Amino acid sequence: VIAPTAGAGALVLAALAALGFGAFFWRSYQLYRYIRLGRDEDRTRHLGRRIRDELVVYLGQRKLLKRPYVIRGAAHALIFWGFLVITYGTADLLLSGIAGWRMPGADSGLFVWTVDLFAVAVLASVLLALYRRAFVRPPRMHIALDGYVILGLISLLMLSLLVFENAGVAAGVLAPGQTAPPLATFLRLRYPGDLSFTVFAGAWWVHVTTVLAFAAYLPQSKHLHIVTTLPNVFFRSQRPRGALDLIDKIEERESFGAGSVRDLSWKQLLDGYTCTECGRCSDQCPALATGKPLDPQKIVLDVRDQLLHEGARLAAASAERGTPPARWKETKTEELWACTTCAACLEACPVTIEHIDKIVDMRRWLAMNEGDVPAEAQRALTNIERAGNPWGQPPDTRADWAKGLEVPTFAEHPESEYLYFVGCAASFDGRNQKVARAVVAVLRAAGVRFAILGTEETCNGDPARRIGNEYLWQTQARHNIETFTRYGVRKIVASCPHCFNTIANEYPQLGATYEVLHVQQLVQRLVADGRLALRDGAEREVVAYHDPCYLGRHNGIYDAPRDLLDAVPGVQRVEIAPHHRERGFCCGAGGGRMWMEEKVGQRVNHRRIEQLMAIEQKASSVASGCPFCLIMLEEGVGAKGVPVKPVDVMELIAARVERPEVATA
Amino acid sequence: VKILVCIKQTPDSTVRVKVGSDGRSIDAAGVTWAISAYDEYAVELALEHKDRDKESTVTVVSLGPTRSRDSLRQALAMGADDAVLITGGSAESLPPLAVARALAKVVEEAKPDLVLCGRQASDDEQGFVGPALAEVLGWPHVPTVTKFAAADGGLDAWKEIEGGHEVWRASGPVVLTVQKSEKEPRYPSLPGIMKAKKKEIPEKEPASLGIDLAAPVIEIVKMEPPPARGAGKIIKDGDAKAAAAQLAKLLRDEAKVL
Repeated sequence: VIAPTAGAGALVLAALAALGFGAFFWRSYQLYRYIRLGRDEDRTRHLGRRIRDELVVYLGQRKLLKRPYVIRGAAHALIFWGFLVITYGTADLLLSGIAGWRMPGADSGLFVWTVDLFAVAVLASVLLALYRRAFVRPPRMHIALDGYVILGLISLLMLSLLVFENAGVAAGVLAPGQTAPPLATFLRLRYPGDLSFTVFAGAWWVHVTTVLAFAAYLPQSKHLHIVTTLPNVFFRSQRPRGALDLIDKIEERESFGAGSVRDLSWKQLLDGYTCTECGRCSDQCPALATGKPLDPQKIVLDVRDQLLHEGARLAAASAERGTPPARWKETKTEELWACTTCAACLEACPVTIEHIDKIVDMRRWLAMNEGDVPAEAQRALTNIERAGNPWGQPPDTRADWAKGLEVPTFAEHPESEYLYFVGCAASFDGRNQKVARAVVAVLRAAGVRFAILGTEETCNGDPARRIGNEYLWQTQARHNIETFTRYGVRKIVASCPHCFNTIANEYPQLGATYEVLHVQQLVQRLVADGRLALRDGAEREVVAYHDPCYLGRHNGIYDAPRDLLDAVPGVQRVEIAPHHRERGFCCGAGGGRMWMEEKVGQRVNHRRIEQLMAIEQKASSVASGCPFCLIMLEEGVGAKGVPVKPVDVMELIAARVERPEVATA
Repeated sequence: VKILVCIKQTPDSTVRVKVGSDGRSIDAAGVTWAISAYDEYAVELALEHKDRDKESTVTVVSLGPTRSRDSLRQALAMGADDAVLITGGSAESLPPLAVARALAKVVEEAKPDLVLCGRQASDDEQGFVGPALAEVLGWPHVPTVTKFAAADGGLDAWKEIEGGHEVWRASGPVVLTVQKSEKEPRYPSLPGIMKAKKKEIPEKEPASLGIDLAAPVIEIVKMEPPPARGAGKIIKDGDAKAAAAQLAKLLRDEAKVL
C-alpha cells in the first residue's frame, strides 16, 4: 500500500520511530550492563551446534512442541512465525512511511498472501491465549497484567492491519502491481464517501504507532523473550547435560558458588530476562508436585527480579568500590535443598534456561562459603571424606558383596578389558549388593573380561558435587583418576547412573577421559552381538520400566533398557505413561536427596508408586537401572503395600543366563 | 570469654578397627583418624558461644602423635582461632594423669576463662583426663554439659541428668566436660579449610613442660574383637501359631533368654 504520510506525516512518523526505538535501545543497553555484572564464562565454542540449536530450537520452535503441550505449542509457533513474517512487513511500512523506501518483495503475491494468512492465524492464536488466561487459568501460569497488555497489543496490531488493508483496497491505495490480500478483503465492506481513505489512514497510523509502542514496552516486559531467546539459545550450555560446571583452581579462590547476582555468570542472568513465565518447568517439577517449597520458575525469576532491583546501583559503581550486592532475598535455602537435579525443568523449558546450574551454584555458596548444609547431608559429606562412601560404612568392607564370587581386582588382573565401577550403593546396601552380583553373573555369562578395584574404589563424588561441595568432588574424582591411571584403566562400566554420569561427563573436566558405559549399554551390545544367550523358563512377568533421571534425561539412554527388556524371554514391557522417557518422574533421591530427610509434603517416591499403579495394564515388577531408584521404589512399594516387585534390569537378565546360580549365591 | 578446648585424635567411627599383632593394641594401618566424638561436641559448643559473642576466642590443644595436627586443623577449619600441639618424646605413651598435667601447663600459660573437654575419649572411653585436669589446676569441674552461657559474675553450665538438667553456676574459671553441643558439629567452610591450612601450630614436647611425667599406669593386657555373630535363623514352616510355638521353644532352649 502507499503510506498515508504525505507532508508532515513522514516527519511525525520518524519522530515516533526515534522515540519508540530509542526507548527500546536505551533500556536494552541498561539490561546489557546489568548482565555484565555477572561473572565471565566462555560460551562461544561449538559454533556448529549453536547454529543448529538456533535453527531447531529458536526458528523451529522444537522445545515448544513437546508432550504434553503440543497444541498450545503449535499456537505459539504460529504467533512466532507470524511475528517473523509480519515484522518484515512492518519494516516495509515504516521505511515507506518515513523515506518512501521499500523492502524487496514486499508487494509480491507470495508475501502479501503469507502476511495475510499469518495475520488471521496470529489473531486466532492470540484469542485462544486470551481465553486460556481469562477463563482456563492454568495453575502453573503466572497470570499478571503484563500478559494481557502483550496479548492486547498483538490483537490491536493484527486488527489494525486487517482494517487498513481492507479500507486501503477500497480506497485504491494499492501500490502498482500489488496483489490484494485475500483474507483482509474477504469482506467487501462499503465505506460511504471518502471514509475509506480516512479509515485506511487511521488504522494505518494506529498500526505503526502500536508497533513503536510495543518496541518501547518490550524491554520492560517478560515479552522481551522474543529478543533474548535468540542469544539465550545460541549461548546455551554445550556441556553434556549431566555435567555441572567446573570450579577451576578451587584452592586459589576465596569465594565459591553464588551468594549474589555478581556470582552468577552473565548467561545465568540472561536466563532471567528470557523467562517468559510460562511455568512449564514448575509443571514438571517433582518437588513442587509433592508439596515441597521449590519452584524452579521462581528461582529464575528471583534472580531476574533481584538483578533488576539492584542492577542500576551495582552497575553505577565498580566491583571494588560501592556497596556489595545483596544476598538472595527471595530464594530460601529450603527451596534449594529440595531439588533432586532431575532435569525435568530443563527438559520442559522452551527457551533453554539452565535451572540446575543456578540451584547448584547457590548450594555451592551455602556448602563451601557458609558451611550451611542440612545436618543429614553434612553427615553424608563427612562420611565421604572419612570413609569414602556417603553411608559411612567401613571402607575395608567395600568388596564384601563379592564374597564367594571370586571377582578379580585390577591389582590381580591388570590386563582386564573393563573396570566394573561398582559404586557405594551396590557395595554397601544389602538390596543393591544383589544387583552387583547379577551384573557379575551377566558379564561372566557373556565372557566379558572385567575386574573391580575392590577396597581401592572410593565414592565417585557425585553426591558431594550435587550437594554443593565441589572441593570434595574434586578430591574424590582425583583419587579415583589416580587409581585408574595406576592400573591403566581405559574402559569403565558402571551399574549406577550417577557413577556413570560423573565419570563419563565430569571426569573429563579434570583431564581424564575414558570409554564409559552404563551396564545396560554394554549388555545391550552383548545381546545384539549374540554373545549373551537368554533362556526362557522363568515365569511370565509384566515389567514397567522406570527411567532413572541420570540415564534418561541427563544422558539420553532411553532405548537400551527397553531393548533389553524386550529381549528378555517371558517379559512383557509396559510404560508408566505419561511419565516415561523424557517425562519420567524422579524417584526423589537425586541431587544428594538420597541422604536428606523428606519431611515436607508427599514423598516423591510415593507419588511415583501412585503413577505406577495408575497405568492401565498392571505390572508385576517395576524395573530400573539405578541403585537409588531401586531403594526408593522398594521403600515406596513397601509403604504403600502394593503387589509390585522392584527389580534392576540386570536381575531380570541374570535370572535367565546359563549360570544364574552365581547371581543368587 | 577465652575458651580452651582439649581434643584427642581417635579412629573415626566409620573405621572397623582390628586388633594388632601384639594382641594389646589396635592395628593402625589404614585407619582414618578424627577428633574424638565428645571432643568434637566440645569444639562445637565453644564455637556456638563464639557465634553469639564475637569477642570470644577459642584455642584448641591436643596431645598425641604428630598426626594429631590434622585434627587440630579440622578444629581450626571449623572456626577455632589457634591451636597448640603437645607431641614428640613420650607423648604417645603418657599415663592419663601426666596428660592432665601437660594440658594444665598449657592452660596456665594461655590463661583461659574456661576449659572444655569431651566427657570421654571414644577409643579408651576412660573419661579421666577432664576431671584430672580440673584437679591439677585446682579448678571446679562440671560433667556431662550440654550448654553454657555467661551469667552474673560467672558462667552457667547445663548439666544433663536423668530426665532433665541441672544448672550450675561457676564464679571463676572452670573445666566443663561436654556431653553434646546444641547443634551438630559444624561443617567447615572451604575458606575456613584454606585458612586453617596456613595457620602455624606451635609444638611442645612433654619433657620441656617441666612436669612430673611419672604417674600410676593401668595396663592393657589383652584386646579382642567381639565374637562374630552367627547367621540368623528364619522360621519358615507352619502357620503363625506353629511358628510362634517354635520361636518360644528356640528362645527358651537355645538362646536361653526366656
